[in-house]
Amino acid sequence: MDGSTYSRGLEAPKRKPLLDHRQRSRLTAWVLGTLTVLFLLYQWLPIFTLSLLSFSGPTGGTTFPMNGVSLHWYRELWDASIMNDFKPPLGRSFVLALACAVTVCILSVASAQAMRGRFRGHNLFFYLILLGIMAPGLLVGFGFALLCRILGIETAWNTTAYLVHVSWALPFGFLTMLAIFNRFDPKLEEAALTLGANRWTAFRRITLPIVMPGVIGSLLFGFSLSYDEFARSMFTTGADITLPLAVMAQLDRQLTPELYAIGAATTFTSLLAIIGCSFALWGLRRAR
Amino acid sequence: MSTIRARSPAAYWLALPATLWMMAAVVVPVGMIVWVSFWGGRAFSPDSPLTFDNYNRFFANRTYLGLVLETLRHTATMMAICGVLGYAIAYFLVVKVRSARWRTVLFLAFVIPFWTSALIRAIAWVPFLGVNGVINQMLLATGLAEKPVEVFLYSRTGISMAQVSLYTLMASGPVVYMLAQIPPALREAAMTLKAPPVTVFRRVIFPLTLPGVVIGQVLVFLNVMADFATVQTIGGNKIALLPNLVINFYEGAQHRAAAVVAVLLMLCMLAGVAAALRVVDIRRLGAT
Amino acid sequence: MERLPQLDLEIRSLRKRYGSFTAVDGVSLEVGKGQFVCLLGPSGCGKTTTLRCVAGLEEPDDGDILIGGREVTRDPPWQRDIAMMFQDFALFPHMTVAKQVGFGLEMLGKPRADIAKRVAEVLAAFEITQLADRKPTSLSGGQRQRVALARAMITEPRILLLDEPIGALDYSLRETVMIELKQLQQRSGISFIWVTHDQNEAFSLGDHVVVMNHARIEQQGAPEDILQRPRTPFVAGFVQGNNSFFGKVAQADGGMLRIEGAAGSFLVPGGGRAIGSAASFSIRAERMGPAGPQHENRLSVRCVTVEYFGSIRRYILERAGGSVLKLDQFGAEPAWLRTGETAEIGWATADCVLHDAEGAAAPELVAA
Repeated sequence: MDGSTYSRGLEAPKRKPLLDHRQRSRLTAWVLGTLTVLFLLYQWLPIFTLSLLSFSGPTGGTTFPMNGVSLHWYRELWDASIMNDFKPPLGRSFVLALACAVTVCILSVASAQAMRGRFRGHNLFFYLILLGIMAPGLLVGFGFALLCRILGIETAWNTTAYLVHVSWALPFGFLTMLAIFNRFDPKLEEAALTLGANRWTAFRRITLPIVMPGVIGSLLFGFSLSYDEFARSMFTTGADITLPLAVMAQLDRQLTPELYAIGAATTFTSLLAIIGCSFALWGLRRAR
Repeated sequence: MSTIRARSPAAYWLALPATLWMMAAVVVPVGMIVWVSFWGGRAFSPDSPLTFDNYNRFFANRTYLGLVLETLRHTATMMAICGVLGYAIAYFLVVKVRSARWRTVLFLAFVIPFWTSALIRAIAWVPFLGVNGVINQMLLATGLAEKPVEVFLYSRTGISMAQVSLYTLMASGPVVYMLAQIPPALREAAMTLKAPPVTVFRRVIFPLTLPGVVIGQVLVFLNVMADFATVQTIGGNKIALLPNLVINFYEGAQHRAAAVVAVLLMLCMLAGVAAALRVVDIRRLGAT
Repeated sequence: MERLPQLDLEIRSLRKRYGSFTAVDGVSLEVGKGQFVCLLGPSGCGKTTTLRCVAGLEEPDDGDILIGGREVTRDPPWQRDIAMMFQDFALFPHMTVAKQVGFGLEMLGKPRADIAKRVAEVLAAFEITQLADRKPTSLSGGQRQRVALARAMITEPRILLLDEPIGALDYSLRETVMIELKQLQQRSGISFIWVTHDQNEAFSLGDHVVVMNHARIEQQGAPEDILQRPRTPFVAGFVQGNNSFFGKVAQADGGMLRIEGAAGSFLVPGGGRAIGSAASFSIRAERMGPAGPQHENRLSVRCVTVEYFGSIRRYILERAGGSVLKLDQFGAEPAWLRTGETAEIGWATADCVLHDAEGAAAPELVAA
């Protein structure tokens, strides 16, 4: 470490820079902050506009000015004619999303628990499930439609669409569970096992309550991803369509504030679901 | 010791349902597309001879080839915009926002739309983009334009605007994750080693978030490449990209042509993912 | 005012608050050329914050910091003549060892060839040449420590700041590393400022030890000075092997105080205290022994337990009032007390150390 002739080169800068390092750091923060806020506005403004326009009067168009304020388009939605009745698709979407949520939840917990077993081929299994995120809905849906056609299977919202929806939401639930299990201390299970619990009891009584946030997360993913799914549904739903398909069909026919009303209503429902789950998580944390 | 033993048969049983599900709903259907794309003859039948006829027909059409390039160019543009914007937002949220409460609020404002329907969010852009849309009204009101600009609805610009709002989160999320993983001491260590902030970013922070950037780019790439719904919603029938071609062929019962386009789409995606994997070893993400 | 050029670091009444919490409260410190200084104290005492202020990683609210005579209080870290070693070493996970070690020189804008040559020299000096192309994740704790040290020292800073630098190492490794570091420091002539909560580290390494508590410096000086003459009850209690007594001054004459407390009445050398004022003193465990004619002070105790460390034998003793004392004996000598036995112990007045007036007013006026 000795005998070096390196000069330190650390004398105070001769020329004073325009801004010192603190000011520059603050400037960066301001620029990035402005950009972030602008983007958030950019992201939210259409959603707000859509919600706002859904309350326009009977003569209201699809853009501003609003021409009065009313619940006209929501009433229209409610007393819809058979052509554009959104209630049956809504019902189907809801049931499908619920079924999907439960299935995704069970499969996610089972798959993540299997991953903890580090069985031969668990890496391959991991990528197989991840494929569900990587493979675009267009390809999965179209491929599945071809498969059904070749096998002569009739597509329907409660059979084929269900199968495909689960494959879409499963990776999200699976990753959530993996993340939770990563932070889980297996010593807790060991403690239960040494106290005389068998594996199933230990899992049910110790493991499951601790990983509950992940379970709720996988339910939420299962529900919302199925509820909003369009591309896969388009190919696999058959004649009785789900809500996003009904919305798209209506958009193809004519854009009316009624569509905004349904958009606002579904967005609101999704937000409620998120808030509900957040509260459930919060309650869980408080209960501990 | 835990509720599951390493390499126990139970792990295989737990992994089996998800494996079968993903095989049936994702792997086999995608394989179907490849198979059908080689079917010769005119009938939709598994007995068809395997030929390159469908591909020859596709490549003979210059319009389609142009569409491939057009799609790639559009996707590259989206990756660039979403990438830069997403990184800036991620950096601001993780590094620059000091208060945990504000960080949570901004982060939620950023993430929540992801849980709502992408289709509805695309539709929400329609009232913004039309000739009488919000943007034009603002432009006229502020005097920035003298007559309505027609480039928004039914245009690539409009599609891009909507897709930026849909997919920036995907570019940003993995970066947020990677940034949050970096111990503050690394930044400090670099500073005490005489690196000024810009150099700290260039030599330490950015390289460490590179895996996140690449994953984000892959997500944007895959989603934009396959996003026919936004294109259809905002572009109407005037604008079509490669994924819309799949839909058009499919709706015209030209399954083999649709399969060819889908395979090309798939090849583009595989090439993109392979290129990304060359830059970053995604499997070693957890190690850093 | 003439500044002493031989000071590597000068801190003048440094203050740092986080909201309502005061992390550093009026700390002043001088570090001479090539000194090995240890900041010692319990967690949260402000030692790390002080170090970070010197590094420029925290901006003090008040006070001055001079490095090599140059005022740097508001300068960013990259403009200070320091290097720092972090608790978990903070190695860059994406850089090979060679790249990592050369980073500092690169930042100084040295030519590439020079950097390569110098890195090779330093890697050889630290005996880590064979690790040059490895990434930090594949290194052992000891190897990481060497890399971090090489990385920090290659630029030959005026001061090396070390934040619990061996806390992350295996216990068995620490002893060796400490000896190496001390030798390295002496050879290089770079000032080390070493933050630790481990008094073994502080007293065996430091030329100068600074004991901190509650954001303030309690006492600073040579290790011997602090070990033999603790100036406050805190230092006496924090440093191993002291027995502290609290009480009131009952009598004062001829450079001698009589202090009375719950434990009894004892003679302590000292003066300048008012009768009736609170006072405390301490006596080292090895200065006590079985009561003999040379002892002016005596105490009856019962032996609670005996700990044997080889070089010493430590008796844990209980006074009738309930408080606990420690008494050390050379390990080679035969034991004179067994668990459960009672005895009378004593000590010479000359061995008592009177604590500074402030801080002596402890809540309980008993031996602690």
